[in-house]
Amino acid sequence: MLVSKAKRPDGRKADELREIKIEAGVLNRADGSCYLEWGQNKVVVAVYGPREALPKHIQNPNKALVNYIYRMATFSVPERKNPKPGRREIEISKVCGEALESAIFVERFPNTTIDIFVEILDSNAGTRVAALTAAAVALADAGIPMRDLVSAVSVGRANGEIIVDLTKEEEDAEDAVDIPMAIMPNTQEFVLLQMDGIMSKEEWSKAIAMGQKACQQIYKLQREALRKRYLAAEKE
Amino acid sequence: MAKRIVIPGEVLTSERKRLGQHVFIRDGKIVADCLGIFIPEAPVASVIPLKGRYVPKENDVIVGIVVEEKFAGYVVDINSFYYSFVLKEGIRQNLKRGAIISAKVANVNEVNGVELTNVRILPKGGEIISVVPVKVPRIIGKNASMLKVLKEGSGSQMIVGKNGWIWVRGGNIPLLEKAIRKIEEEAHLSNLTNKIANMFKEKR
Amino acid sequence: MNEKVIWDLRIEQVIEKLKKGKRIDGRKLDEYRPLEIKAAFSQNADGSAWVKLGATEVVCGVKFGLGEPYPDSPDEGALSVNAELLPIASPVFEVGPPNEDATELARVVDRGIREAKAIDFKKLCIEEGEKVWIVFIDIYAINDDGNLFDASSIAALTALLNARIPKLEDGEIVKKEYSGKLKLGKLPLLTTFAKISNFILLDPCLAEEKSKEGRFSVATTEDKKITAMQKGEVGAFKLKELENCIDLAFEKSAAVRKTIKESIGED
Repeated sequence: MLVSKAKRPDGRKADELREIKIEAGVLNRADGSCYLEWGQNKVVVAVYGPREALPKHIQNPNKALVNYIYRMATFSVPERKNPKPGRREIEISKVCGEALESAIFVERFPNTTIDIFVEILDSNAGTRVAALTAAAVALADAGIPMRDLVSAVSVGRANGEIIVDLTKEEEDAEDAVDIPMAIMPNTQEFVLLQMDGIMSKEEWSKAIAMGQKACQQIYKLQREALRKRYLAAEKE
Repeated sequence: MAKRIVIPGEVLTSERKRLGQHVFIRDGKIVADCLGIFIPEAPVASVIPLKGRYVPKENDVIVGIVVEEKFAGYVVDINSFYYSFVLKEGIRQNLKRGAIISAKVANVNEVNGVELTNVRILPKGGEIISVVPVKVPRIIGKNASMLKVLKEGSGSQMIVGKNGWIWVRGGNIPLLEKAIRKIEEEAHLSNLTNKIANMFKEKR
Repeated sequence: MNEKVIWDLRIEQVIEKLKKGKRIDGRKLDEYRPLEIKAAFSQNADGSAWVKLGATEVVCGVKFGLGEPYPDSPDEGALSVNAELLPIASPVFEVGPPNEDATELARVVDRGIREAKAIDFKKLCIEEGEKVWIVFIDIYAINDDGNLFDASSIAALTALLNARIPKLEDGEIVKKEYSGKLKLGKLPLLTTFAKISNFILLDPCLAEEKSKEGRFSVATTEDKKITAMQKGEVGAFKLKELENCIDLAFEKSAAVRKTIKESIGED
């Protein structure tokens, strides 16, 4: 695959991710947690459960409910955000929760709920994929059985180039296309795929291939973060 | 034996092995289903979870807290996904909310519902120290050697539940808790039993 | 899972120890937990702070917005403090609009700052009677291990101290450009105490908070003025106890103020 050599506004190559830092198990009151920095994006995630789903009428006798709540702090965006959740946050919460549920063995925990709370503390494009990446780490940190981790990235086009991990500046380009995607890294199955913008199938395929490659890099960082947290256990 | 930290979805081995806990087959390979420890040389491929709530097993002795009294029995929190229920039959005392009991898991149904037997009401004035259920064997030690050190060093009464709840009463509980946390964090160090024994000697 | 019952058991221990003159985590009665501050952690915020007080964590962001002045103060800007007890912070916090706990927290922090005249609202007037700056202080609890009040107050003051006022061009905010720093006249801080079976404890941790028979918070400034007070929860304080709390607040907040200044590179 040909990757353009042209430099981007922040000096990155087309297939280069921003710097990503992941730390697992950062909160002592949650069952599992994660703090993630992805460029300027800062995300905290807490996981509780499986715990009894209440009120009782929401319980599903066949599986655990997955309740994913994505929220942005008022000061995390250039213009102060209304503290009330908007339609964007509600939609993201829904599709990202569904993406994670695809990876969790929910059928083992009937009548329970797995609550995943995400707070974005600072942002510069790609917060939903940053949050999803962090949430997968927090779920594993909570000891929840899963088919695979979930690794997410956003790919697309700006200024005529197919690129990974768009910044806000690139998202604002005339020809911008944004494709948030998440895969289970071992099976390469897609659990989240959205798209905004117009592009050809060829361009789309090229973008997705770059995204798959990026997800493998992200998966490595997730794995390292989890291993680092429990390294002492290897020596027991 | 060498140990490996594995994460959900990670391939453990392509060899054909007997399947233990927390593994599944994907494309003919054995894969971990949760964050845990994998021992490559072990004859059975299984993952010992590092985190997570207590998964009830028959014949486990657990420590529980009464959370509610119902007409026929008591609702008991056992640090699992759901509460369990014990019938009033065979329990001589009337139990209040907050009472601590120890009991044996009689059986577990398909939705992790738990029935308890051999209910023992623990004396008042005790409290619960909570550990990750997988660390319980470390707290007890080989032939209960660690448990003996803990009891003697702290002068506390102790009942260790398989569900990660440890009932303690009397003696030097802060010191006991410190020792338990040390075991949790440094379970990988050799000679830990002696180290804990020395810790008690120094602090006394 | 059953938070309440487990805490009930802890409460007995907290009281038992106090009777022997000891706190459950080994601190002295008038000792703060270790304080860690990360100032200006957020780039989108105009001012921000991440505060760790023991295991309690709070983040705060300051944002300037444009608005109309109140009719009774046409030449003054305004202050708005909002607090969210995120479900991230505790298994018992729920999703939804701020409840009464969050509302009380926000209002107590607000009063401490407002009444100290920490902010000169006249300097936040852009066009009398028409346009003023509104200072939004948004506080988020990240981990509740007790005493969110003091952690929030520390976060709010630190965020204000590193806040920059956006640049205006033709009456509109120019993104990412600033006209200068927000100057504070006073540095008010809350100091919170819990009363447990006739003992007064500074900076209650969660187990102590669950045991308390009353909470008392006092906001004080560096020149030993009191700017706000709040007695909360069921329980009563004697006058002597309150007086002792105030004296301690003067002393203890001075040390906290020093940590805040270090975090923003002053001193």
